Amino acid sequence: MTFRLTCPVCGKRDVYEFTFGGQERGARPPQEGLTAEEHFRWTQFRMIPGGTDAEPQEEWWYHGQGCGVWFRTTRDAATNREVEDGGDAG
Amino acid sequence: MPADRAALQRPPPGRLPPGPTCQVDFSRPLEFTFLGRPLTGFAGDTVASAMYAAGVRVFGRSLKYHRPRGLYSIDGESSTTFMAIDGVPNECAETTQLTAGMSVHAQNVRGNPRTDRFSVINPFDWLMPAGFYYHLFHRPYRLWPLFQNGLRRMAGTGVLDPRGEFASGIRAERYLNADIAVVGGGPAGMSAALAAAESGLRVCLFERRPRLGGHLAWRVREYEGEPLHRRGDALAARLQAAENVKVFTSSPVTGVWGENLVTGFTVGDDGDPFRECHWECRAETVVVAAGCMDRPLVFNHNDRPGVMQAGAAWRLARTYGVRPGEAAVFSVGDDLSLEAAVDLADLGIAVQAVADARGEGRQDPALVAAIEDRGIPFLPGWAASRAIGGRRLKGCELRPVTGAGTSHFPCDLLVANAGMQSRIGVLATAGAKLAYCTHTHSYQAAELPPGVFAAGSMTSLRDPRTIEAAGRAEGYRAAASCTGRSARRARHPAPEAGQAAASGQDTGSDPAQPAIQPTDPVDALESSERELASLPGPPPGCDIRHGPAIGRGAKAFVDLDEDGTWKNVKESAAQGFDVPELAKRFGGFGLGPGQYRVTGQNLAMIMADLRGDPPEAATPTTVRPPLVAPSLATLAGPGHDVHKRTPLHHEQTARGAIFRRAGPWQRARQFSADPTCRDEILNVRNNVGILDSSPLGKFRIHGPDALNALQRVYISDMSTARPGRCKYSAMCNDMGQLMDDGVVVKEGEDDYYFTTSSGRAGTTVEWFRFHTRHDGWDYNLVNLTDVLGSLNIAGPNARRVLARVTTDDISNDAFPYMACRRITVGDGVEARCLRLGFVGELSYELHAPASYSRYLWDLVTEAGADLGIAPFGLEAQYCLRAEKGHVIIGAESEQRVTLTDIGMGWMWDRDDTASKKVGAPALRACERQSGRMKLVGFRVAEGQGPPGDAPPLSDGAVVIAAGEIVGYVCTTRRSDTLGWQYGMALVREEDAVKGGTIQLQQEEKPGKRATFSATVTSPHFHDPKGTRLRA
Repeated sequence: MTFRLTCPVCGKRDVYEFTFGGQERGARPPQEGLTAEEHFRWTQFRMIPGGTDAEPQEEWWYHGQGCGVWFRTTRDAATNREVEDGGDAG
Repeated sequence: MPADRAALQRPPPGRLPPGPTCQVDFSRPLEFTFLGRPLTGFAGDTVASAMYAAGVRVFGRSLKYHRPRGLYSIDGESSTTFMAIDGVPNECAETTQLTAGMSVHAQNVRGNPRTDRFSVINPFDWLMPAGFYYHLFHRPYRLWPLFQNGLRRMAGTGVLDPRGEFASGIRAERYLNADIAVVGGGPAGMSAALAAAESGLRVCLFERRPRLGGHLAWRVREYEGEPLHRRGDALAARLQAAENVKVFTSSPVTGVWGENLVTGFTVGDDGDPFRECHWECRAETVVVAAGCMDRPLVFNHNDRPGVMQAGAAWRLARTYGVRPGEAAVFSVGDDLSLEAAVDLADLGIAVQAVADARGEGRQDPALVAAIEDRGIPFLPGWAASRAIGGRRLKGCELRPVTGAGTSHFPCDLLVANAGMQSRIGVLATAGAKLAYCTHTHSYQAAELPPGVFAAGSMTSLRDPRTIEAAGRAEGYRAAASCTGRSARRARHPAPEAGQAAASGQDTGSDPAQPAIQPTDPVDALESSERELASLPGPPPGCDIRHGPAIGRGAKAFVDLDEDGTWKNVKESAAQGFDVPELAKRFGGFGLGPGQYRVTGQNLAMIMADLRGDPPEAATPTTVRPPLVAPSLATLAGPGHDVHKRTPLHHEQTARGAIFRRAGPWQRARQFSADPTCRDEILNVRNNVGILDSSPLGKFRIHGPDALNALQRVYISDMSTARPGRCKYSAMCNDMGQLMDDGVVVKEGEDDYYFTTSSGRAGTTVEWFRFHTRHDGWDYNLVNLTDVLGSLNIAGPNARRVLARVTTDDISNDAFPYMACRRITVGDGVEARCLRLGFVGELSYELHAPASYSRYLWDLVTEAGADLGIAPFGLEAQYCLRAEKGHVIIGAESEQRVTLTDIGMGWMWDRDDTASKKVGAPALRACERQSGRMKLVGFRVAEGQGPPGDAPPLSDGAVVIAAGEIVGYVCTTRRSDTLGWQYGMALVREEDAVKGGTIQLQQEEKPGKRATFSATVTSPHFHDPKGTRLRA
C-alpha cells in the first residue's frame, strides 16, 4: 500500500492521506419496496470487474489528511495504478 | 613527520601499513571487550575488522550443528558474525562501526565460541536431515514442549536481556521527495546521480557504506594513468559539490515499493542528532546501482574460519588495514578476485596458489601475467574441493573442476568464490523479473518495472570506464523519464556555473570547473548511449555450481545462516521439494539474512543442477524486505505522543485531574486518588458538578440541502427540528448499527447546529459527504469542535449556579428540559446553552468560543464555590449516565446489534423512505429476526460472588445459560446512588426477559470462575421517569 492517488483538488499524494470508500456501486437505491436482499446486495456485494483477469475498477477515495473531498478514480487493482490522472469530485 | 613514518613502518599487531585507501586511523585507538577480554581497535574499524585484527577467528557458532564460524563476508551478507553488542542481540559485527567501550559477546554458544559445549552436535547431523523438524518430535504430542524448549535452547540466535536498554539514542524519521533516487554510491551510482543532476532535477543518492566510491574505494590498480581509488574520489568530490544532489551515506536501502517509494535507514555518526533514522523517499524514477558481490563457492567445509570471500579479504586489507592472513590460497572465478590476489601478494601476504574455476584463456591476460610474475602458481580450471582445519584453517585441497588430480596447500586464509553475482535485492523488491544470463552466469534483472533503471557492475559490467558510462546513460534515462521535469526546471533552473563552483569550494574540486553542466537529458542520453556502444560489455562469467568432489563425507554449505548443506538440498529435492521456493520452506535455505546474498543464486543453480536442468529453468527465491534490518526501535519511530488538549487542561491540572488518552484528546478521568470516583458521582447526584466536555463534536450545517443531508444520515425525522429546541437523534450505518448520537438544533432557515459524540467528531464530515456523494447536494458542513469549548454544569443545584452568572431567564418555564438558548454569561460572553441530561440530572451545557473557556470555568466554579461545586471527570460521567441507562457507542453497542436491539428503535422514522435514510432498510430487515442480542439492565443479587477481597463483578463478564455463553456484561458498577450493583448486558433475546434471572461468570484467577446471579431489569435504573431532568 504505497501507491499514490490523484486528488482532484490537491494532485498526486501518497495513499496514506486517503480513506478508501469502496467500489463505485451506483447511487443509493430507492427504499420504497426495496427488499432486504436487494439492500444487502447493494451494501455488501462487490464484483471484481473482469473476474480473474481483473480490470481497472472505479472507486471512491476520501482525502481526509488533505482537502476533505470524496472523489472517484479508476484504479487497476493488480498494479495499484490509476488509469488516468485526475479524479472526479463527489 | 618522523613519528608518522615510524608508525608506517611498524603498524600495530595484526595490521598492515596504512595504504592510500585505508579508512582506519591508527592514531586513535578504541578499547572494547569481546567476551570480557579487552581488545583494541581503531577509529574507522567495524566491530568485525577490529576483532579480526586482534586475532579473533571464531566469531560464533552455527545454528544447527554448532560449527565454529568466522569472518566470511564483510558487508553483512550472512549471519556468521551476528553478535550481541552492548546487550543488544543480532547486531551485525561486519557493518557496525566500532566505538569506545563496546562490550561484544558471541551468540548461540555455551561458553566460549572456540570451545562451545554444544559442538558435540556436529557428528549427529544424520539426525537432522532437511526438514527434520517436520518429521521428528511430533509424536507423542505431549512431549512436544520438551523438544521445543530443548531446540530453542540449542538453536536460535541472541538472547534479550530483559533489563537491557534496547532503544537508546534518538530514533528519527524523515520523509523525502526526490525526482530521482539513486541506490548505490559506487562509480555507476555516482555517475548516474551526476548525470541526472545536470537536468536540474532533485536527486537523492543512498549508499549503505560510510563512504562513497563502491569498489573504486579500495582498488589501487593503475587505470588510464591513475590509481582507481583516485577516480572514485574525483567522482565523490563532484557529487558532493552538486547542489541538487543530496547524498546519504551509512544508509542501506530496505526495499523499493509501489510507485518507487524507496525506504531505508541511516545510521547516525558523531555529527548526527540521531542514532538511527528511518526514511522514505518518494521518487519518480530510481536508478539502482547496487553493485556485485562474490558468489559463494560451495565446497567441502567451506564454512571453516579462514575461508573468506574475495571482497572480504581484500577490504580487510585495503579498507581496514587488517592483515587477513599469512599464507593465502585463492580459488576464484573472476578478474576482480584475481586483482585482489595480486594486490594481497603485493601487501606481503604469501599467496600460495591462485585457482580460477574458469578455464584457461578466459582471464584478463595482464592479471595472469601479474600473478605469474610474482611466482604464484596459477591453476586455471581448478577450484577448492576441501578446507582443512577446525577452528583455524590449516590448509586446503584443490582439484580440477573436471578430471582427476589433487593438490594440497598449507594456508591460514582461503579466498573462495565462484565468480561474482549481482546484488539483486533492491531490484527484486522493486518488482524486477530475474532471469539467468548464460553469458555472465548470473541471475540478473530481465524486466524492470516502470521508472526503475539498473546500472553498473550489477549488470555484470567490469571495466571502470564502461561502468561510469552506463551509470551516466541510466542517469540521463531516469531524468528523461521524469514527467515533472519541465515544470520542475522552470521553478528550479539547473545551477549556473558560478553557483555550483561556489558550493564546491570545500571539496577540493577545481573552482573553474562547474560541478554540474546543465544539459538536456534526452540529447545527453543519445550521446552517452553511443559512447557505451563503443566500450567493452560484460565479460563471460563463471558457471561452476560447486567445488569438485562435493559431499564426500563432508558438509558443504549452501546457506550459512540456517546450516543448509548441499546434501540437505539434495535430500529436499529427493523428497519432491525440488524447486527453490519449496526447498526454502522445507529446508530453510535462504530464510536468514543471506537470503539473496549467500544463498539465493547458488540455491537456484544447484537445484537446477540436481534436477538435471540448465540454470535458466530455476529462479532464486523471492527477496523479502527489509534487505538490511534496521532495529525495531527505529521502525517504531520516535514515538511522540501526539495529542490534543482541551482549553481547560491547565484548570483541570490545577484541580488535581488525572488524565487519560481518549481518542486524540487528553481528558480528565478523575480528580482524586479514588478510582471509583464516588465523591464526584455523589456530588453530581446530590449537589452540582462541572465537567469539561470540550471534545464533544460540534458542527454547523447550512445551505439549501442541509435538511436533506440531515434526513439522510439521521434515523429520525429531522424536519421536526425547531429553533430553541434540542432534537435528540442517532446515526446508523448501512447495517443498522448505532454509529453516533447527539442533538440537532435548527438555528435559521437551512441552518442547523448539531453535536456528535467525541469519538465521532473527526469522521462526521467524511460520513455526511460519503452518504450524500451521489446526490450533488448543496450544503456546507463546518466542524466547530475545536473552535467551541464546552462546559457541563450538572446536578440539582445547577440552575442556582447558572443563575448567578447570567441575567437571562433560566427558570424551568422559560428554559425547559431539551431547550437551547443563546444566553449571555458574565461580562457579556454569548454562549449556546443546551439543557440536556446525559448524566441523569438537571444540567446545562455551555458552548462558547474556546478562548472564553477558562474565563467561564473560573466564573462558574467561583459562583458555585459556596454550594460545593466540584469538577468531575470521565469515569464519573460514565457511571452517572450508566445509572441513567444512556448508552455509549462501543460500550453498549457493537457490530452485532442494531439500534432497535439496544432499545432505541423509537427514534427511527419508519415511514420515511423518500430520504433513503442510512440504515433504515437494515432496521426493517432485522426488526422481526429471531435470535438477536438485546440490551438489558440487571441488578446483582446481594451477597453474591466470591467472598473476601475477591474482585467484584466487572465489565466483560459473560452471561451463562445452561452452560452456554449467551451474552456479556457491557458495563457494571456498584452504585452508591442505588445502593446495589447494577449493569447493562447484551444477551440472547430469550434470556432478555425482564424479571428473569441470569447467571454472570468471570474468571477470578486463571482456572477459577466466580458466578453471580442477577435479575434482568430495564437499563434505566436511576430516575426512570426523568422527573429530575425536568425539575
